[in-house]
Amino acid sequence: MQIIVPIKQVPDVALNIKVKDGEIVQEGISWVISSWDETALEAALQLTEEAGGEVTVLSIGTAKVQEALRKALALGAHQALHIQCDSSAGWDSYQVAKVLAKTLADQDYNLIITGKQAQDSDAGLTPTMLAEFLGLPQVTNITAFKDVSDASITLHRKGDDGIEISKMTLPGVVTVNDSLAEPRLASMRGIMMAKKKPMETVDIHSLGLAPEVLQSGGLMTEVVQYEKPDERKEGRRFEGDETETVPEVMQNLKKNIGLFA
Amino acid sequence: MSKILVVADHKSGSLKDSTKELLGFASGLGTEVNAVVIGSGVSAAADEAAGQGAATVYVADDASLEVYTTALYTGLVVDAVQQSGATQVWLTSTEIGRDLTPRVAARLDVGALSDVTKLEVNGDDITAYRPCMATKLIQQVRFKHDGVRVLSIRAGSFEVIENAPTSANVVSLFLPEADSRLEALGVEVEESNEISLNEAPIVVSVGRGAGGPDGCESVRPLAQQMGAAFGASRAVCDAGWLPHKHQVGQTGTQVKPNLYIALGISGAIQHLAGMSGSKTIVAVNKDPDAPIFKVADYGIVGDLFKAVPVMQEEVNKLKT
Ligand SMILES: Cc1cc2nc3c(=O)[nH]c(=O)nc-3n(C[C@H](O)[C@H](O)[C@H](O)COP(=O)(O)OP(=O)(O)OC[C@H]3O[C@@H](n4cnc5c(N)ncnc54)[C@H](O)[C@@H]3O)c2cc1C
Ligand SMILES: Nc1ncnc2c1ncn2[C@@H]1O[C@H](COP(=O)(O)O)[C@@H](O)[C@H]1O
Repeated sequence: MQIIVPIKQVPDVALNIKVKDGEIVQEGISWVISSWDETALEAALQLTEEAGGEVTVLSIGTAKVQEALRKALALGAHQALHIQCDSSAGWDSYQVAKVLAKTLADQDYNLIITGKQAQDSDAGLTPTMLAEFLGLPQVTNITAFKDVSDASITLHRKGDDGIEISKMTLPGVVTVNDSLAEPRLASMRGIMMAKKKPMETVDIHSLGLAPEVLQSGGLMTEVVQYEKPDERKEGRRFEGDETETVPEVMQNLKKNIGLFA
Repeated sequence: MSKILVVADHKSGSLKDSTKELLGFASGLGTEVNAVVIGSGVSAAADEAAGQGAATVYVADDASLEVYTTALYTGLVVDAVQQSGATQVWLTSTEIGRDLTPRVAARLDVGALSDVTKLEVNGDDITAYRPCMATKLIQQVRFKHDGVRVLSIRAGSFEVIENAPTSANVVSLFLPEADSRLEALGVEVEESNEISLNEAPIVVSVGRGAGGPDGCESVRPLAQQMGAAFGASRAVCDAGWLPHKHQVGQTGTQVKPNLYIALGISGAIQHLAGMSGSKTIVAVNKDPDAPIFKVADYGIVGDLFKAVPVMQEEVNKLKT
């Protein structure tokens, strides 16, 4: 089974993210693989460990994304493809999907696995747009794989009313829910081996895309500015015996929000 | 002239509140509003959409549409866009909406905005606001293209205005060809007749502080008594104490109830991302330094096992 995992390098959202004049402050950001993409990679590794085959990780970005690709190789991916561009700042999901579709148009693969959304944009648009551009079936928000073969796969998707089960004839695109697998940690040996694994760099201008696809600031949609959400202020604290604090809080709820009033 | 097409979300034959919100808000703009209703046995939902302000309701009613499939639904929505001459397509940010929104946009060869929580609409000039970076930031976003504007909107972003159903002006859609590469094998519906997280006015949630499945079950009666949906942190769902459909948070369901009660939940950012939009938050936690207290209007430092029975008594008193 040949699996492609497109990964996005994103700011670590567990750390503080600052905004100044409507823009994200770049200084102090720590760049990581988007956590759902780590789950996607983990799923791909498990599938190839079970059914054989190889995992190719792919990322579009400046030379910096090679760090993310190298980390993915250390985790067990077999090879990496870096689509190099001068800047992908402000690109929208449509553009990324167009570049991915062009890159993958004449590649051989059974499955494309991505995170359900990227941890920075929280958009969740790219994989499905990619599926449409490649004319492939898609199933999003996968929680489990069953009956894996090169020709087909059974997928469990977390839908609105329960788990939807379907069988996909491959090739196809799937996105993962993070409950699917716990990403492994890189081992010392993995990190050493990653240095010898193949990483190919392709200049984005050599793909033959229409020039406007590479326009900065978004082709179809643009982020005008970033804002901090209205900070919730901490309210009142109630400490002491629960038989006293709880009734006091419930009385407040009755008075202030009309609970069961 | 701008024209809005609302893709209706429904359950057990009636419209979900999330769709009523969209229809109500769209109708208030003075623009022509139509709806598309897809499913099996949806004529009552179509009449509800008409009552909520849809001039024409595009309907696809067929047993093969009972379970959501991307290919059929995409074909039908795009057909309704074309027949209605819509300049905007509004979907809900449910799992169906998340799957469908980008596919519809890509088929129309345009971009999309997902998970929007606030909209400023002036004809087809739209400024949208959406959380990103695990809800640490809000993006103000706009469309740059001239084509159809496709967006998905999170439940709870607008008020629900209830109107009586009226007989819908129906246009029936023809079924497109199914994608034989994807075969639906069934749905495992997790325990039903519970209040769903999406639209509940009150949510009572448990975290790892509940200690185990029994601890979680000891909280459930409180939720039932309050008419609340029963939520949980990911730690609880991953441990198998409750099924995953209870998970509140970035990966689970994003909720915006009037009242959110967090019991034994630490308040990790991914959990906050799913509930910090709640109007009022009550937290019970043993640890005075738990981050959940930073977002709580009422923070009770204490043991949930002692607090829950007292809460039940108090709810009883309030209700009588
Ligand atoms: C990509 C990604 C996505 C994620 N998505 C989600 C998500 O959607 N939803 C989500 O919830 N998490 C999510 N997480 C996980 C999240 O980071 C936390 O691990 C999780 O929310 C912790 O759950 P918890 O608060 O129940 O457990 P803990 O962090 O272990 O907290 C338990 C709390 O209970 C308190 N406690 C213990 N005993 C008692 C008692 N008797 N009475 C009162 N208090 C008590 C403790 O003081 C503690 O604060 C995600 C993580 C990642 C990486
Ligand atoms: N620059 C990129 N390079 C490779 N893959 C990407 C890139 N941007 C987005 N993706 C993929 O698209 C997914 C969803 O992105 P988004 O639509 O921004 O939520 C990510 O999880 C990645 O798998």
